[in-house]
This record gives sequence, C-alpha cells and structure tokens, in this order.
Amino acid sequence: MQIVIDGKSCNAAPGQSLLEVARHNGIDIPSLCHHEGLPGRGCCRLCIVETEDANAKDANGTANAEDANGTANAKDANGTADAEDANGTADAEDTNGVADASPKRSLVISCVYPVHDSMTVYTKSEKVIRLRRTLLALLIEHAPDAEGALPAYCLEYGVTGYHGLLNIRKDEKCILCGLCVRACEELGNSAIQITRRGVDKIVAPPFDEPPQDCIGCAACARVCPTHAIDCLNDDERRTIWDKTFPLVKCAACGKPYATADELEWLKEKLLDTELNLAYCPKCRGRASRF
Amino acid sequence: MILSQEKLLGLLQKYPPEKQHTLAVFQDIQQECGYLPKEHIIEAAQYLKTPLSQAYAMATFYRSFSLTPRGKYVIKVCDGTACHIKNIHEMRDTLARILDIDAGNTDKDGLFTLETVSCLGACSIAPVMQINDEYFGSLTVEKIYDILAKFYEVESYEKERSEV
Repeated sequence: MQIVIDGKSCNAAPGQSLLEVARHNGIDIPSLCHHEGLPGRGCCRLCIVETEDANAKDANGTANAEDANGTANAKDANGTADAEDANGTADAEDTNGVADASPKRSLVISCVYPVHDSMTVYTKSEKVIRLRRTLLALLIEHAPDAEGALPAYCLEYGVTGYHGLLNIRKDEKCILCGLCVRACEELGNSAIQITRRGVDKIVAPPFDEPPQDCIGCAACARVCPTHAIDCLNDDERRTIWDKTFPLVKCAACGKPYATADELEWLKEKLLDTELNLAYCPKCRGRASRF
Repeated sequence: MILSQEKLLGLLQKYPPEKQHTLAVFQDIQQECGYLPKEHIIEAAQYLKTPLSQAYAMATFYRSFSLTPRGKYVIKVCDGTACHIKNIHEMRDTLARILDIDAGNTDKDGLFTLETVSCLGACSIAPVMQINDEYFGSLTVEKIYDILAKFYEVESYEKERSEV
C-alpha cells in the first residue's frame, strides 16, 4: 500500500507501524522508548504525529452513495419519475457528505499506530512540534541527568533544561519508559521490573537487592535511551545491578563477549541447538563457514 | 508473623500454580501475616511460576500490601476530598504526634500503624478514620484522644491478664 508522509509517497505493508514505515523511508521521527527489536508501547509519546485519514472519509462517502443508490433502485421498480427524484436527492446528499467531512487531522503515537491505505502523515507540523516541546520539557524535568538521546532532542527542539518543578532527585536519569524491562523479558530472565507506584516508581530488581535471576546480559543497559543503567565492564568482569559476573573470552579472537551465567542460561534454553558457545557470534559465523 | 512451611503450602495450594492468581495469593498471605514477608513472596512466585521481579512489582504496587510488619492496629486515615475539607490533616497530625510516627510507619511498640488512604468511602461522616475493621467518623481532636485512650486501656488490661 501507499501512504504519504510529509509529502513523500512511501511503500508500506499492512501490520507495520507508522514509525517503522517512516524510518524505512528515511524520515526521522524522534523516539525514546522504541527499539526496533521490541514491540512499541508508546510510553514516551515523543513519536507523536498528525494523520489525515482520506481513506475513512472515502469509505463513508461511498457507503452513503451506495445507500442512496440502493434506495433509488428500489424506487425505480415502483416508478421512473420517483427514481429520478431519489437519484437527485442522493447526489445532493453525496456532495453534502463530502463537504461536511473536511480534512480532519488527528494526533497518533506512531510507534503503536498501524498504517492503513492512503493515509497522509505530517511528522513536523506546527502542532506536533509544539507538543514534542512540551513532552521533552516534562521528560527532562523528570530525568534532569539523562544522557544520550533525550538531551540531544532537547537541544534540537530548543527546550532549555531542568527547572526543578518536580520533587525529583537531580541525578535522576530514568524516564521510566520500561524499555529495559521489555528487553529483559525478551532477551534475559525477567530480572527487573517497574516497581512501586506514583512518584516513588522506579525500575528495580526484587527487594532492591542484586537480582538472583539476572544473567548479566546487559540488554537492559544497551537499550536504555538515557543511559540510566550502570554497567561496568573490564577485561575479566561485568558489574550490573550491583552484581558482578565473570566474563568469558572468545576462543578465537580472545575478546570478552558474554558472561558465564549468560552462556549457562543459553545452554539450557537452546538444548537441541548445535551452537558453539566457545566463540563469540562474529567468530562463530566465520568458524561455521570453513 | 511468618507462616510455617506446611501452612504456607496449604495456602498456596488453594490456587492452581498460575500467574493470574498472584494477587489472590498475596491477599491471603497479607490476611494471615499482616504483611508480605519476603520469604513468602519468593515462595509464592516460585509456586505460581511467575518471575520474582513481577511478583515483587505487584506487591509494591498495591497500597493494601505491606512489605514490613504492621502494628496490631492499623489506623487508616482518610485523605479524600470531603475529609480534606473537614480538616482531616489536623486529626492526622494529632495521631502522628501521639504515636510519634509519620504516616506509613509503625510505632515502636508494634501496636499501631498509621496510614493514609485515598478515600474510605464514608464521606457522610467525614472526617473519618478506620482502625482495623472499625470506622470512626465525625472526628475531632478530642475524640482522637478518647479513641486512642480506649485502645491503650484494652491493651494494658490484656497485658495484665496475660501476666497473671
């Protein structure tokens, strides 16, 4: 199907999200809580865009016209004069219908909004920019110490930082988007969750202790858009969530590539798969080729 | 109060080992123990085949669950609109002063826990508080002293009897 984003005609497949399609076509929509490998959840709401739904309007118009035609046909059987009359009315209604449905724009969250045929999207309209500014101001207020994409977007959108309006620790980095939790559920062992509620809400392992279930894969730290999760690596060890893991070195290239716990966990999970875990993914591919 | 292994198991086995029963299991444990002991959360999560992180998240989300032991008497002070207008904060401050604790804590004897709740649903008798299952409405500062005095009286009477 074809949709128009910022005046550019783009190819899209049913089931894709608006954000996916836009990025595929080289149109950048800002986002924080989205990762291409994980389903969107629309938490940060930064990927907000305006859509104009030509399709829905058309369908309505057509339906009305058909309805009117149907009535006209029924009357045709009764008498030609009547039928003409009805047709006339139907036409009038049709034009009325179209006139009423002036192009109406609506705001949607593009990472969770599925594309549909012949929609028109505006990613940089005045309204969208204004809303993104507000969102960014609120986000930076909540996470004044955030690194990475959030301060970069603030700079881009001309949002000047922290005003201390909320009762939040000044060194807070987390925007509570939950991307780390989703990554841990998908790739790791569900070791962390968003805990507590309201203003006390934080991402934490159970009982705020080093999590028993954590395998040290560091997926959470890698996907975090604001670099809020501390992950320290040296040649031998990785420390994350106050837990230290020994790192395993690749048998071929000698670089540390995974924690021992992670490999142990993988072995259990991939019981039937023949995977040489002595090598890092890069060398594994090379080894299997020769 | 921590349950014995058999008692906890009996409690858990009332439910099929599925994640969806986490809330019900926690409510039962809270009922039995007065709070959710860490050991029981861990065992319940294992039994229900639920990641501990998710069980813990649920236990910390709901106000009706407590992760620390609570007093024999739990005082819930209403924080709703009607009570707010009727000066509930004065009652809350009085209670906090008498018990020498802030809202959310338990006094040093382990007798009273002071909590605020969003609304007790008894606005017609605002300002209102609840001690365990009993409601006390149309509160005044004097009334608070009287009510607490009665509870302390009962306690010292029971203590004397148990010593005899």
